[in-house]
Amino acid sequence: MPSAIFTIGRSGLTASRLSLELTAQNIANAANPDYSRRTLTQSELVMTGNIGIGASADSLGGIRPGVVVRAESALVQRQARDASSALTAAEAEFFALREAEGALENSGLFTGLVEFEAALTQLEANPLEPALRLSALESARRMAGNFRVADSTLANARSLVQGEAAAGVLDVNELAAELAEVNRKLVSAREGTAGRAALLDARDTALRGLAEQFGIATVINDNGTADVTLDGVPPVALVTGGAVAGSVNVSLNPDGTLAFDLGGTALAPAGGAMAGRATALAEMASLQTGIDSLAASIIAIANGAQAAGVDAAGAPGGPLFSGTGAANIDLALISAEGLATAPAGSPAGSRDTANLAGLLAALGAETGPAAGTDALLLGLSSRVAALDSRREGLGVVAASAEAELLRETGVDLDTEAANLVRLQQAFEANSRVIQVATELFDTLLGLR
Amino acid sequence: MSFVSTSTGSFFNRSLAQMAELRGAIERNRSQIATGQRLERGSDDPAAAAQLRSVARRGALAAVERENAARLGEDLGAASTELEAVTALLQRARELAVQAANTPTGSDGRQAIAFELGQLTEELFSRANAASLTGEPLFAGLSSDPAFIRDAAGNVTYAGTATSGAVPVAPGTAIERGLPGSEVFQFDLGGTPTSAFAVLGGLAAALDGGSPDPAGAALAALEGIDAALDTTNRAQTILGTRMAWTEQVQQQQADRGVTLAERRSRVGDTDVAEAIARLQQSLTALEASQAAFARVSSLSLFDALR
Repeated sequence: MPSAIFTIGRSGLTASRLSLELTAQNIANAANPDYSRRTLTQSELVMTGNIGIGASADSLGGIRPGVVVRAESALVQRQARDASSALTAAEAEFFALREAEGALENSGLFTGLVEFEAALTQLEANPLEPALRLSALESARRMAGNFRVADSTLANARSLVQGEAAAGVLDVNELAAELAEVNRKLVSAREGTAGRAALLDARDTALRGLAEQFGIATVINDNGTADVTLDGVPPVALVTGGAVAGSVNVSLNPDGTLAFDLGGTALAPAGGAMAGRATALAEMASLQTGIDSLAASIIAIANGAQAAGVDAAGAPGGPLFSGTGAANIDLALISAEGLATAPAGSPAGSRDTANLAGLLAALGAETGPAAGTDALLLGLSSRVAALDSRREGLGVVAASAEAELLRETGVDLDTEAANLVRLQQAFEANSRVIQVATELFDTLLGLR
Repeated sequence: MSFVSTSTGSFFNRSLAQMAELRGAIERNRSQIATGQRLERGSDDPAAAAQLRSVARRGALAAVERENAARLGEDLGAASTELEAVTALLQRARELAVQAANTPTGSDGRQAIAFELGQLTEELFSRANAASLTGEPLFAGLSSDPAFIRDAAGNVTYAGTATSGAVPVAPGTAIERGLPGSEVFQFDLGGTPTSAFAVLGGLAAALDGGSPDPAGAALAALEGIDAALDTTNRAQTILGTRMAWTEQVQQQQADRGVTLAERRSRVGDTDVAEAIARLQQSLTALEASQAAFARVSSLSLFDALR
């Protein structure tokens, strides 16, 4: 009988010490975002060591420390992953397009065009004054320069996004390999051990990392392994059990947009930062087309007007601009004398500005380049503003999913502090039990 | 352990996000006050940014049009000054013609009158070829060469164009730059086209011994001089009207400039009072939430248990 008390006290001591250790582990990992809170299950130990009928049926054995249970909620994990996929998609697109917006606004496309118009309008007052002609020519040069600046800053913004995509793909491949490795280990990990809990943490971390880059569909198997399919058109399996289907590759199309493939199967991502980047690059490609066609229309309008008129010396006007798009538009006219302000057929030194007025009307027309530039900028900034509010909304969703996840799996220091006190008391109480057993034993020994 | 709990990590995350948002608002407010611009980039308010662009374009063009109008006013003024002198000159020529027709002057007197008429013709010629402040001929229409040229025989002909072109001074408004010399110095006399130069030159030649009846020639020339005066007066009136129009346009431009500035300010400028009030509000909120964060984050059971 006294030995049973000893055993009970000892098992209690072991159980409370193990619980204390887990509590300490929880507290130590309170700031670890990948950590999921652990608890220890316990069960009563009743020995039925004696055989026979009518004998004392129960012999109390104390407590048996059970298994390490990891706080887990597959549903909340999945919600958090999906929310972060959607958020990173919106964020990647927003930041990329904001870069493009900055590039186009700061390059002074619109201002350059307006200054060119203003200089031409001023030239109408006195078309033969050399200073005014020169200022018109220089403003044309500046406008062409602004187009080239816009082109190169847009290309810069594009290459930043492309670089991010390339780096992100490396991440994805590493995470996929890691997940496969974790899956292989999970198969052989024993249920209820701390090691298995750590592997599950690593699994969820890898899944979260993948979800940030690509939208993923995940199947969690009974043995804890996770199979991942990249969400896209078409969906392609990335990790099945311990095997990675293939590496994800990204390549650039001629217009700067992204082309993805997984082990040779082409796919268009439907979520995550990669989808955002792909969309942003597609929009940047259309912006590029936009500024190229604006530049081309300015070249056509100006050169057409030049060809339709005569310059200060009465000679037919030469082309004002050279080039075919925003990248290579440049001033072709060497001398300000060559601006064809007068209509064809006018004599040398004519102050007739009919041709100049025609050029101005074409530049400022409802469908002309000035209106086109304004529409381009308005479209872009509206898109960015819409993305911003979408990003804010998704940010709230993602933050609440994250909070929900932390509520389910995170460490609450107050709870752990209370546990510490409780377990410490339990430990002390169990040692008292052993002391009592000793005294009982001593009493027995002391009988005479 | 299935009770509602707020994990420590989630508390810190939320607090940090809220404070970062307040800090962002403060930063935005501060830069609005510092730059005076409400919009940092187009996406802050796309519609307002588009309005600002169109206001900026209108403003740039209006500034140039104001300059054009001022210049046009100067040119019209210069032409008008020249015409005043021409009117005085023609009146003097008329006096001389009357004198030659009525007063029994001798051939010496007629020669003196002829000489003075010659001088007046010279002056008329140079005034007809007068140039603006920037050196462009005032009465040559669209041409930049002298308006009138004189051949070896002394005949003056108009070398400019029949129209003078217009200068845009406001959206949809263009005012004629001046009057072509053909409308100022040339006119029809009894069905035949002639010019002030021809009338004065002819009279001078007649008085200088070119005509057997100088008094009769002078009398006949009066009609031509009167026609020249009429033409000049008419031109003067036209120029005066255009100058008045230009002034009116300039006034409108100034008004429109004010409207544009008001509009730009309304759409794009920071309302400083509001921005400062908002800044103060955000600062107070940030300070309060920082203090609350410090208090709440120290409220751990660990501190209470000793």
